[in-house]
Amino acid sequence: MHTGTTNQVANPNTVVWNSPGIWITYLLTTGFMHLILLSMPWFTTSVSWTLTNVLHGVCMYFFLHTIKGTPFETSDQGKYRYSTHWEQIDSGTQFTAARKFFMTTPIVLYILASFYSMYDFTHFVVNTLVLLLSLLPKLPQLHGVRIFGINKY
Amino acid sequence: MTVVTKNGVSNGVSNGVSNGVSNGVSNGVSNGKHSPHVRPVRAFQETFEPMPLSASIFASVNYMFLGLFGVIRDFLRTNKIEKVFTASEDPEMKGFAPLYDDFLSFYHRNAFMRIIECLTRPLARAPGAVLHIVEREFSNAGWVCKYTGKILKNVVNLGSYNYLGISENKGKSTKVVIEAAKKYGVGICSPRREVGNLDIHSELEQVVAEYLDVEASISFGMGFATNVMTIPSLVDKDCLVLGDEHNHASIATGCKLSNATIRRFKHNNMEDLEKKLCDGIAYGQPRTHRPWKKILIVVEGVYSMEGSITNLAGIVALKKKYKAYLYIDEAHSMGALGKRARGVTDYFGIDAKEVDVIMGTFSKFFPGQGGFIAGSRAIIEHLRADSAIASYATSMSAPVCQQAISVFNMLSSTEEGKKKTKQLAKNCRMFRQGLKKAGFIVYGNDDSPIVPVMIFYPSKMLGFSREMLERGFAVVVAGYPATPVLGSRVRFCLSATLTDKQIQDALSAIIDVGDLVQMTYLKGK
Repeated sequence: MHTGTTNQVANPNTVVWNSPGIWITYLLTTGFMHLILLSMPWFTTSVSWTLTNVLHGVCMYFFLHTIKGTPFETSDQGKYRYSTHWEQIDSGTQFTAARKFFMTTPIVLYILASFYSMYDFTHFVVNTLVLLLSLLPKLPQLHGVRIFGINKY
Repeated sequence: MTVVTKNGVSNGVSNGVSNGVSNGVSNGVSNGKHSPHVRPVRAFQETFEPMPLSASIFASVNYMFLGLFGVIRDFLRTNKIEKVFTASEDPEMKGFAPLYDDFLSFYHRNAFMRIIECLTRPLARAPGAVLHIVEREFSNAGWVCKYTGKILKNVVNLGSYNYLGISENKGKSTKVVIEAAKKYGVGICSPRREVGNLDIHSELEQVVAEYLDVEASISFGMGFATNVMTIPSLVDKDCLVLGDEHNHASIATGCKLSNATIRRFKHNNMEDLEKKLCDGIAYGQPRTHRPWKKILIVVEGVYSMEGSITNLAGIVALKKKYKAYLYIDEAHSMGALGKRARGVTDYFGIDAKEVDVIMGTFSKFFPGQGGFIAGSRAIIEHLRADSAIASYATSMSAPVCQQAISVFNMLSSTEEGKKKTKQLAKNCRMFRQGLKKAGFIVYGNDDSPIVPVMIFYPSKMLGFSREMLERGFAVVVAGYPATPVLGSRVRFCLSATLTDKQIQDALSAIIDVGDLVQMTYLKGK
């Protein structure tokens, strides 16, 4: 129990995406994953770009929209226990810089993946589905919404 | 910008003369004109270097790896491949609501326990100028601990709050304290307002009031509880509390308990404080816009995690201008700052009666336990009647009171006190200059006895602490949750007992380990 200690914010998850250097870290990690996929000889360029997009989208959905609460104890009496990380960012304020950044990266990856897959139809379907998976949960209208009660508790 | 008067003493107009991110610190009065009452003795400066970009990227990667290995270990634990050492649910209670949340304790289980070996060291001696540390061996990522049977003797103590070096159990005051223990017993077992009020308590309060040059004071049995219980007696739900963003947990708890509206201003930033004061007075209470009953500014004398000193000159000027009240928590500055060791008011040359409430503890530089509040007679008499500690918590133990009285007498009357204060000030400057020259990022004010040196990476904390212990120095490292997530640091607490040679040895050891662990971020700049 970390009594007697304090932080400026009760839940650091709300401000982690505003700390210095974290956006660059995120972009570098995505780039690194892409390089690993590109270097596999049995993937063509199209496949590796689409795979990057898919992996990025799936990981983003898992970390931002599935996991709820915090991995550490907070001093805000469990306010964010049932909130996904996306809902915790900036304590729920919409249209902040961090949220715009996260809306932009799937779109940029989608454009790059479409270009490098030469606009092939199968790749297009896969990439578009992944884009929808990344973008739809981030809409302000779906803030705090749990469709069919999935992931509620 | 320093304004120098005729006789060369700079007065309170200096702004942050720092080479990093300077924190404002105009003294709050516009156009740099200073109030005639406040004339601090030296230019106010503090430094908070911004985090280098490479450190922030790789520290985040560090946390990712900690998370990855945490997931792997959790997987092994759920599948019974690795033994579980934490508390877990009783298998018979399977249908009941869970008592523990696995995810909530993820950080504690997988990251915090790895560092536990440098955070909970058992001692074999009173923590004075040197320590005897009981050696332990850890395995299973910090969950299994075994005593090796060896005791590391005479480790130089760079971690205890021992500013004037009085923290020993053999000394001049020991005899008097033992007499007091024989006369009054060890425990009091009753609050002040029942049968726990001894003459030694009144004597202590008299001594404190005379030492600080205020009208009266009241003593309590616990330092944390002093803040928690005093603030609710001073403010209530129609009051505004403006606290520094780095205030201690005890102040935050006290403010929350009081139900007052709390607004935090940026650390030592007088422009932000003035803006919040103006907004508070102009807009009044949140919904009804009624005027506040009172506005209380709460700051600390020396901030223990940042190593900075509050800009008292600026705050007193603002407080007079906007007619707010001032509460200072001098837990770390009492006895450590100022020519006469009276604390932050002495350091700045400001009359202690300008501050409405001074809070201090007896646990930092006198070895002891307890806290006190000093201020005007009206406030102290109100606290005697209204404060929850005076009514319900047991009063200070008599030998501890006697120890505090002896230390106060030593400081105010003998030459020994002056010598120690001078030695401490010299040690502070020498130590900080040595670290800065070597290229470490040191936060805070050059005169504060607390020296935080930034590490940024959670894993390097353990390496630094272990390597320093091997070289014979005990240091305190601090990480999340005591600091921000990427703000891990090692916090040196200087003492007057450190001789010049010990400081030189410490500096060379720190530079050695700093190179090994790669903490010298400013080297070559």
